[in-house]
Amino acid sequence: MFEDKRTGLALALPAAVFAAALFLLPVGILLSEGFRNADGWSLAPYVEFFASGRNRVVFLRTLKLAALVAGVSAVIGYATAFAIVSLPPASRGRVFALVTLPLMISPVARTYAWLVILGRTGFVNQVLVGSGLLDTPLRLLFTETAVFIGLLQLFLPLMIISLVSAMENMPRDAVPAARVLGANWFQVFARVILPLTREGLVIGGTLVFTGSMTAYITPAILGGAKVLMLETLLYQRVTVANDFASASVIAMILMVMAFSANLLLKRLATARRAR
Amino acid sequence: MNRLPSWVILTLTLAFLIGPFLIIIAAALSAGNSLAFPPQGLSLKWFIKVFTIESFRASFGVSMFLAVGGTLTALALGIPASYAMTRYRVPGAEAVRLIVSSPIIVPGIIVGLALLRYLVLPTGIGMLTALFLAHTALVLPYAVRVVSASMENLRTDMEEAALILGCTRFQAVTKVVLPNIRGGILAAFILGFVTSFNQVPVSLFLSGPGIRTLPIDMIAYMEINYDPSVAALSALLAFLSIGIILAAERFLGFSKYV
Repeated sequence: MFEDKRTGLALALPAAVFAAALFLLPVGILLSEGFRNADGWSLAPYVEFFASGRNRVVFLRTLKLAALVAGVSAVIGYATAFAIVSLPPASRGRVFALVTLPLMISPVARTYAWLVILGRTGFVNQVLVGSGLLDTPLRLLFTETAVFIGLLQLFLPLMIISLVSAMENMPRDAVPAARVLGANWFQVFARVILPLTREGLVIGGTLVFTGSMTAYITPAILGGAKVLMLETLLYQRVTVANDFASASVIAMILMVMAFSANLLLKRLATARRAR
Repeated sequence: MNRLPSWVILTLTLAFLIGPFLIIIAAALSAGNSLAFPPQGLSLKWFIKVFTIESFRASFGVSMFLAVGGTLTALALGIPASYAMTRYRVPGAEAVRLIVSSPIIVPGIIVGLALLRYLVLPTGIGMLTALFLAHTALVLPYAVRVVSASMENLRTDMEEAALILGCTRFQAVTKVVLPNIRGGILAAFILGFVTSFNQVPVSLFLSGPGIRTLPIDMIAYMEINYDPSVAALSALLAFLSIGIILAAERFLGFSKYV
């Protein structure tokens, strides 16, 4: 609306300079460290990082858990989202609010709850031992299962929100029409619901996958030193070993994951607008 | 699907999502001295004890300062930028948008480490300053996004009318634009506050003995203690967040902006 370019730039500049100087610059230097060693530019830090079997285990575990959380939250997400959109409008809003409520609660508090539930004297073990099903309490904390459960609870709402908004954009009579024409529920899902909500699935999946991949609190509290993931490994490399080479390699891996996920989301968003 | 299965699915999902929170509250109400569910007797003693723990009081202060101060600073930087990007043809507007929103993409732990190594250690600035800058950068994308959205929704002919009637551009902004988007600004403030207050990875490397944010202090406390005070504190913080969101929703229709 205003043509005066200089005023516009002057107004936008403080924010841009702030973010560039205090954010992009330090992060850029840190990431570039992963390509240097004593002799100058090199890929050696990457080769060294992946040469260690322990690092490879952590890397693959992070990918595996993130993929598993994304996959399981998609299954639960579809069931829940479908149940939510088939509710009458009045209760739909209320249930949707309950689903999004956990997002407002501190991740520390949400993760902490699983200590109470999964601990040695926690709720689950009390039920199992108390009812005589087991003699000794199960070891539930500091396992991949505990981290998986914690991450799933943390990120499931994001998947449900994405799928609910995708389903609300679905033509209302698509599902009943398919049913009337004789499709069973599996066919309805594969041929009607899935194609019509694919964007929501990709958006939710990317959010859950990158969220799980870059989560710190949940693996730190529920996994401890036994179940390291990339973020907890990064923290450990710096604070315990003072090993900045591995730290910047891990930073780069996390960064590439986060950035490609973001790019994918942006692609989808522009594709949607163009249509 | 018929009624029953979808009812079962909703109950199970909500139990999984909300149940742990209810269990925290129950555990916090315990009269016993260690963390347990079901609680051993009922008492409010852990809710009271939380307020007497010195480090929680200090770290709560740090977190409040960062959440309020960082968000206000982000708004002070973000509102003019949003105005420029929605009202002017800024050269390189896309680059500005990308730079300003980049903190949302970069995993927090990387930001914390980068600031520690390339800002705190070389310049010797204090941890609190570094935390403040990091939290401001963290909140800046939300401030710009939410404020820009409400500026885009505001019709520009109101400002034009003010200009024609003799206002300077500054007056048009302070008397017409800002009052009309105050809901959006408040929404950005709340979103920024909650984001800053609850975030952990950014502050991880920037916390030392003496200066810690509350969530990091809670993690440190529970590594040593196994009493219900962290449960009580978690419950209190959750009520605080929910209270803020509900109030905002009630008075502003918060969800419109986010």
